[in-house]
Amino acid sequence: MVTQWTPTSAGSAGSTPEPWPKPEEQAFLVGGPGRAAEVAVVSLVEAGMLRISREGHVSAVGRPGHGWSPLQAHVLRSVPRTLGELVTATAGSDEAQWLRRHLIDRGLVTSPERRRAVRRLRLLVLGAAAAAVIAMFALALPLQVGFGAVIGWAVCSAVLGRLARPLTRRGRDEVVRLKGIALPRNRIALVACFGLLGRFGGTRVTDVLGIAPAARERLQRRTRASRSDGSASCGGGCGSCSSSSCGGGSSANGGSDSGGSSCGGGGGCGGGGGGE
Amino acid sequence: MEKLGVGIGWRPEIDLTVERLPGVDFVEVVAENLHVGHLPESVLLLRERGVPVLPHAVSLSLGGAEPVDAQRVAHLGALAEALDAPLVSDHVCFVRAGGLDSGHLMPLPRTRDALDVLVANVKAAQQDLPVPLALENVAALLDWPDGELTEGQFLAELVDRTDCHLLVDVANLYANARNLGTDVARFLDEIPLERLAYVHVAGGEEHQGVYHDTHAHAVLPEVLDVLAQLRARVDPPGVLLERDDDYPADAELAGELAAIRAVLG
Repeated sequence: MVTQWTPTSAGSAGSTPEPWPKPEEQAFLVGGPGRAAEVAVVSLVEAGMLRISREGHVSAVGRPGHGWSPLQAHVLRSVPRTLGELVTATAGSDEAQWLRRHLIDRGLVTSPERRRAVRRLRLLVLGAAAAAVIAMFALALPLQVGFGAVIGWAVCSAVLGRLARPLTRRGRDEVVRLKGIALPRNRIALVACFGLLGRFGGTRVTDVLGIAPAARERLQRRTRASRSDGSASCGGGCGSCSSSSCGGGSSANGGSDSGGSSCGGGGGCGGGGGGE
Repeated sequence: MEKLGVGIGWRPEIDLTVERLPGVDFVEVVAENLHVGHLPESVLLLRERGVPVLPHAVSLSLGGAEPVDAQRVAHLGALAEALDAPLVSDHVCFVRAGGLDSGHLMPLPRTRDALDVLVANVKAAQQDLPVPLALENVAALLDWPDGELTEGQFLAELVDRTDCHLLVDVANLYANARNLGTDVARFLDEIPLERLAYVHVAGGEEHQGVYHDTHAHAVLPEVLDVLAQLRARVDPPGVLLERDDDYPADAELAGELAAIRAVLG
């Protein structure tokens, strides 16, 4: 069970400034709001503000203090609740949306408007290439016209795909940096990177944290298909999932934006996907 | 009565805490919150470790004018057997009447008539229980008029007529001393301490001049003083810390258990 006091990861008002981005922000980059919610919960447990029972019931320890992040404050207001409900509710909170907007403003996450615009542009390019190929056959144009259209489409698609990635280069760099510090001794980073349903070196993250199996089962694994906003940018697409289910997505480091499977950076931390 | 040691009330919210706290010799579970066929993993784990688990009921309404609900007694008995508990307990109170449930442990009029009703119900319950029954004094905010016995005399006669054990809640005793003027020393002198099963200790707070036994606040030094007065008379077989809400950090609970041990010497 997580009971140790880890001031550097607790998010409480300490005397030393926290590094930026903060663990919740890193978690958001890797696994979306669900992962950020998990980090908020675990950081509060680490700070001794919450306890998780064997059955996954999360309750407050003593009275909430000050200095918590908006997401942590939301968690503290939301208990008592089961772990799964708490993560889901926090991931869907206004505070999680605020966090997403904050990361967009800081240039770590691509805005959904930009991703939508790029997707539209890719469709246009695809349509143009298809029209050129059809015209080639219909009007008996030289074969080079068709080849040129296909090659042009492929090049444009690759370039646009990079522009539509859920994370910006800086965001992807942060994900890579997180991978380097996600070790059992850095429990918050471990959760940020792999999620509560993830594994590190074959060991379940929940086992590293000392969270009981019954509590782990309270977490709701959410499939990509069930996401409410499959086209959202990194983070936005994970919705209220318990994050690692969204982790293997296309892309923080990956190439193209394959249909908006968001939450990208999972791959950046060693796969994330599925949590197993 | 067998030696129990120092314990804490097991609650689902603090199950892991209870499992990990050092020196927990026994625990108590709220009987109404458990199902015999589906006992919590934590409780089973404690049993595997050899920690006694005592079912504590809150709904038998033994002081009520209506006959005791056989199903509630059966549940308590089944739980005792499932947990291999050495005894079970409930309160000297009533919780329902006329089909209504008060949701509180209501004090009894300390009259001979009320005692007769209580004794009859306790005997009926004892017949269907596989283990001894201990009964606990409650915290009251009022005294019924026309009482014929002090609380200590009432309990002493109850024990004499039913052969039940006593579960003395020193926090309730302190609350009654604060709110109703109960004489703690006299209470302790009047009850048959040789029938003491164990002791409850809990926290509370004063609100608008009235002390409330909340089980959600720290144990007051004054409550520990009452425990010390009891200890001066008898070495209690067990003392159990009750906490039912606003659970503090593990260290704080451990500190309260240590304070209890310090009083016991």
